[in-house]
Amino acid sequence: MSDLPTALTAEHAAIFGYGIAGAHLTGAAQDAARAAEAAHRARRDALLLLLAGTPTSAPPAAPVYALPFPVTDGPSAMRLAIHLEERTAAVWQRTLGTTTGDQRRMSLDALTDCAVRATRWRKAAGVNPATVPLPGTT
Amino acid sequence: MPVRTWVNDGWTRRSLLTAAVAGLGLGATAACGIFDDEPPTPPDSDPLEPLLAGTIALADRYDATIAALPELTTRLTPVRDAHRTHATELARMIGKPLPSSSPAATSSAPADAAAAVAALRTAEQQAQRAAADACLAASAKRAPVLGSIAASRATHVEVLS
Repeated sequence: MSDLPTALTAEHAAIFGYGIAGAHLTGAAQDAARAAEAAHRARRDALLLLLAGTPTSAPPAAPVYALPFPVTDGPSAMRLAIHLEERTAAVWQRTLGTTTGDQRRMSLDALTDCAVRATRWRKAAGVNPATVPLPGTT
Repeated sequence: MPVRTWVNDGWTRRSLLTAAVAGLGLGATAACGIFDDEPPTPPDSDPLEPLLAGTIALADRYDATIAALPELTTRLTPVRDAHRTHATELARMIGKPLPSSSPAATSSAPADAAAAVAALRTAEQQAQRAAADACLAASAKRAPVLGSIAASRATHVEVLS
């Protein structure tokens, strides 16, 4: 049994979170939030397609997801973006151990993309260092 | 059948007997290891050995670059430390002590900071592919950590851009 349904739930939550974060960002940061949201939507759609061909049921998106802290301005929106990428990376990292072949490759691509976006957000937010030694384990 | 061939080729029974005894002797010597405290025959090399060696070499390369270009210390130290963490994780998975690094063996870093960063960036891209290949080929138990190592290297490319 793979963790792909869990990954789908995480992608649903990331898409919701970026909707909130994007509303509090401007300029290049808002563009980055929109691009990240689009990337998570693409991953979600790929997962939905994949799960449609299996007996595993795809969890639907919830109307609302709890935020880890209040998001009221640009800095808190960037913190949320970092949080979303770290949390989604962690789910995909676990999925690597329950998949093989193309599904593992998809999980690795997803983990890598989340880690790179988290690093970009840390750079944008002035978090130093912008990298973590083992993305997905924090 | 082989005996006849050897005899026809000029081998005598005596030389065959000598060879057979020599063979027994070799067998007995090898068997001694079971009873003595000699180290056992090394097991087949772990598929992660090349990745571990490459990781240590990469960390050493960062050390050499930092030594040659101190202005890059702040930028490169977290990346160097990440590679050391990866080496520790890989050695743990392989089940052997972490080999010591040999900074003296590494090639000298470029004299120019921009060229040095560009060279490291290329090395990280290659290292990312190596870790990704290892992740895709690994057991379920090893794949998550190897995936984290591959993803980490992608983030290094990002901070070296």
